[in-house]
Amino acid sequence: MAALVLALAIGSAVLFYGNLDKNQPLTAVITHHGELVDTVVLPHLKEEKLLQIDGEYHLTVSLRRDGVQITQSDCPGQDCLHTGTIHRSGQSIICLPEQVVIRLEGSGPGPDLVLG
Amino acid sequence: MKRRISFLLLLGLVLSLTACGHRHDVQTHQIFAMDTVMDFAAYGGDTQGFFTAATQEINRLEALLSRTREGSDIAHINAGGTVSVSVETAALLQEALDYAQVTGGSFDMTVAPLVNAWGIHTETPRVLTQADIDALLPLVGSEHVHIDGTTVQLDPDCAIDLGGIAKGYASMRVAQLFEVYQIEGGWVSLGGNVYTYGTKDGKAPWLVSIRDPQSPAGTAAMVGLSHKFAVTSGGYQRYFTAEDGTVYQHIIDPATGAPARSDLLSVTIISDNGTMADAYSTALYVMGAQGAADFWRSHRDAFDMVLITSDGKVLYTPGLETSLTWEEGGSYKASILT
Repeated sequence: MAALVLALAIGSAVLFYGNLDKNQPLTAVITHHGELVDTVVLPHLKEEKLLQIDGEYHLTVSLRRDGVQITQSDCPGQDCLHTGTIHRSGQSIICLPEQVVIRLEGSGPGPDLVLG
Repeated sequence: MKRRISFLLLLGLVLSLTACGHRHDVQTHQIFAMDTVMDFAAYGGDTQGFFTAATQEINRLEALLSRTREGSDIAHINAGGTVSVSVETAALLQEALDYAQVTGGSFDMTVAPLVNAWGIHTETPRVLTQADIDALLPLVGSEHVHIDGTTVQLDPDCAIDLGGIAKGYASMRVAQLFEVYQIEGGWVSLGGNVYTYGTKDGKAPWLVSIRDPQSPAGTAAMVGLSHKFAVTSGGYQRYFTAEDGTVYQHIIDPATGAPARSDLLSVTIISDNGTMADAYSTALYVMGAQGAADFWRSHRDAFDMVLITSDGKVLYTPGLETSLTWEEGGSYKASILT
């Protein structure tokens, strides 16, 4: 089965306002359709935390002290799986079809933003 | 001899500058639009007003320029006949034609029929035969676009797609709003079309990561930017894998009608012109490493660039010598273009 890449025509929707504080511990901020799902301070994790996101598609997010990745998704694009593990402030994983955004914030000297 | 700065050392320097300088409360805002996710960050001034105005401007441009949005100028043009469009659309179409000319057709908005047929950006991509491609290639070329003032007509069966420059143009429009709302510093990232405004703390430039195409969660290089547009194009961003295992990436070479067989993994253009940066990032990816380097030598005052090649090189232009860093002992060997 071919792995498909999807570009949905998504209407613009305001997702969230927030602020960046780079002096906080490395924190994963997870939003789904613009709603805040969870905020996880990675260094506080004692063990791997699995987060299930259900909508039109189903995603499993793995959060560990050393990084975050989407380990399973039935979305058509699979771009979120291709991204792999993020572990530095400023990095993000995006699932466009399900409008899931996982962004790492805090913990000092990461990039402010990412190209590509 | 090129001065090589330790990647981690620079990160530390940036951090220490931030720590010594006045801390700013950077507000962020995120939307989904133009088939991508868009992030905005700003401090000082009327940040909420800026976010609201930027969102409205993005929505306005999407309604005007989207190929798939019913009622847009581009949808009307593609529907056929002689169409009256806005002054803004006509100007952008003319700009697209200019980029097609200067890049020798490596950027070409009329490649849309082939982009549609491959469908790599859709749920139903397919592998075209050479016969399929040959049937559509005659529809590609600027000679099929006729603009007279704000009146536009395409030749029969032709189509255009401004996806190669619309986000770059939008980034230029949004960039103007920073001053309007008296923002001290900030940035926008419209699906990877970036503009950096001012500095992050009154001193240090915004630190921008160029994604590692072979490990998209990783970083191939970092560049400090202030008051610059930056755009990256690469085949790794969108692709599909056929049943026989062949990977087809999303950038179609207008000359062959097939996904570009580039020896580049990504092209990053840094410029004072976001629309141009968007067009050139695609065009230079299609050209390949040698073509891109030759093109830059002919237009070296217009932009800087970072090329990441399939044989593990990061090639950058002299204008980035003091702002670009990469990880010592990392996956790529960096060298400067001359």
